[in-house]
Amino acid sequence: MRDKPWYPVLYMFVMTAFFSSILIGLARFTRDRVELNERSAVERAVLECLAVELPARASSLEVHRVFLDRVSGPVPAYGGAYVLREGGKVAAYAVPLDGKGYWDRIKGFIGIASDKRTVTGISFYEQKETPGLGAEIVQPPFRSQFTGKRIADGRSPIGIMPVGAALGPSKVHAVTGATQTSTRLEKIINDGLLRWRSDLASAGGGQG
Amino acid sequence: MNWTGELWQMLVVCFAAVFTGNILLTTFLGMCPFLAVSRQVKASVGLGFAVVFVMTCTTVLNWLAYRYVLVPLDLEFFRFILFIIIIATFVQFVEMVLERYSPALYQSLGIFLPLITVNCAILGASLFMVIRGYTFLVTLGYGFGSGVGWMLAIVAMAGIRQNMSMERVPKGLQGPGIALIIAGLMALGFIGFTGVL
Amino acid sequence: MMSADPAREMTASAPKGPKKESALGRAAIEGLWNNNPVFRQVLGICSTLAVTNLVLNTAVMCLALTGTTALSCLTVSLLREWTPHRVRMMVQTLIIAFYVILVDIALKAYWPDMSRNLGPYVGLIITNCIIMGRCEAFARSNPPVPSFFDGLFCGLGYSFVLLLVAVPRELLGMGSILGIPMPYFSTGWDKWIIMVMPPGAFFTLACLIWALRAFQARGEEESA
Repeated sequence: MRDKPWYPVLYMFVMTAFFSSILIGLARFTRDRVELNERSAVERAVLECLAVELPARASSLEVHRVFLDRVSGPVPAYGGAYVLREGGKVAAYAVPLDGKGYWDRIKGFIGIASDKRTVTGISFYEQKETPGLGAEIVQPPFRSQFTGKRIADGRSPIGIMPVGAALGPSKVHAVTGATQTSTRLEKIINDGLLRWRSDLASAGGGQG
Repeated sequence: MNWTGELWQMLVVCFAAVFTGNILLTTFLGMCPFLAVSRQVKASVGLGFAVVFVMTCTTVLNWLAYRYVLVPLDLEFFRFILFIIIIATFVQFVEMVLERYSPALYQSLGIFLPLITVNCAILGASLFMVIRGYTFLVTLGYGFGSGVGWMLAIVAMAGIRQNMSMERVPKGLQGPGIALIIAGLMALGFIGFTGVL
Repeated sequence: MMSADPAREMTASAPKGPKKESALGRAAIEGLWNNNPVFRQVLGICSTLAVTNLVLNTAVMCLALTGTTALSCLTVSLLREWTPHRVRMMVQTLIIAFYVILVDIALKAYWPDMSRNLGPYVGLIITNCIIMGRCEAFARSNPPVPSFFDGLFCGLGYSFVLLLVAVPRELLGMGSILGIPMPYFSTGWDKWIIMVMPPGAFFTLACLIWALRAFQARGEEESA
């Protein structure tokens, strides 16, 4: 049989079918989990920037439950932000951030309280900045600076200043040595906030 | 997104792929041919052109295959195999066409084509394109830019190595060792471009 | 990856002795030292070098690569009697891709953070020259068990060099190893930022190759 001209074709076909079917089976088996993981990264980031307390080492399912319970969105009427409700009223907005960092895309959220001024927190769920340098933006020392800041009117709601500079109510310090990441992040945050503001205005969202 | 915006983004991505995110100097893809072929400028130019051509075409083909075959069928994880098959088939096809219609070009580029099938930079460009979710036009710019960036790096390297052939290099560093040091210095230089974007 | 050249080179030095114990020992010495894929032949570094700025990422990549190499060699060897000569490269690619996709799916499902960190580099293991080099040079003409160990030691030889690249990069660049701050380096050390950037990988690997080759050359002179 092995001398026949069709043998290699048959062989390749059988091999491909065999290996593919294992892979397809496995992918089907893990698909729900993969989807849950992807959704969970976003949900975690939303809850984190809204300063919602999560149990330590919360599993994806627990995060999902808290998220469903308290957050809805993205809501077009609120400028495409996720909305945190407390007692039926809007307590805070999670505004999506997305843009090019130093090496790759940075995605995250900035939380704004119901006064549309006070920052409740900032979080990131996707970034590939240099470890130990730009990647420090995901660490608490950098992120905690944002909590309680008030975003300014005009073109630059948030300013990232060099380390050591005097800070106004809408300014935070950059990560030492990560000038490129910091300038890009400032642009990403401000683009996100400006887009949110204009979407909010055009959606007639004065009711929040 | 509107047309001008997309065109602008395509140019930005293309520029970034050549300089700031050079596929060879920042992600180390395509190192094997880089170290092996970069001894002569002429061979490097030939291989470089072949890579630019194949990379541009295969990223676009792979984008189409991913977007219109794998995503609708929910078989995204098959991209590794499908991309390799598409790259290999494309290279084989180009080889046949060249041999038939342009023997002169085949003489100068033909020997590099089989090398390309297994160049990880080609597959790498397609995988990056998927992960970053580029649109069609941006993919075109990215594929072309990555190819040009790779060619730029290998030709510059070949030029430097040719000039180094008379220099005395410590024994353990001869060959790949010194090539890696040169590549490191080049990578350092290319990082300087990040301020531009 | 250039499979033709290294494959031939590797065949020449592949152990031929049928004796099991000594063959195993020889495979270990060949893979880890004499024919070490990285510093002897400078092959297959593409897919992993990019993640060597963190030891943890490197370790996971090396584990994936070693597992893929060993299992692919085993599978190729098991199928060697039935595989037609003309399509063997395609079959090998298929087998390697199969294991790589397994790793990719597993990481996506059970370790999503790591999957995001490694990005496309897991998939790029497919085009790593070492795996197909070993399949071509050894596994397709040898029984399964020696093939498995041949692949395993080749992968381990690769892993040990890349971990040697990763440790100084993370230590000097970030003052930590596996994310754990190290004494002195995390406090008194002025971090060499360049080490975690791409040029640092080139310099570290070059110095390592230099040191290992010099060491090896001395050993060869003595034994000669």
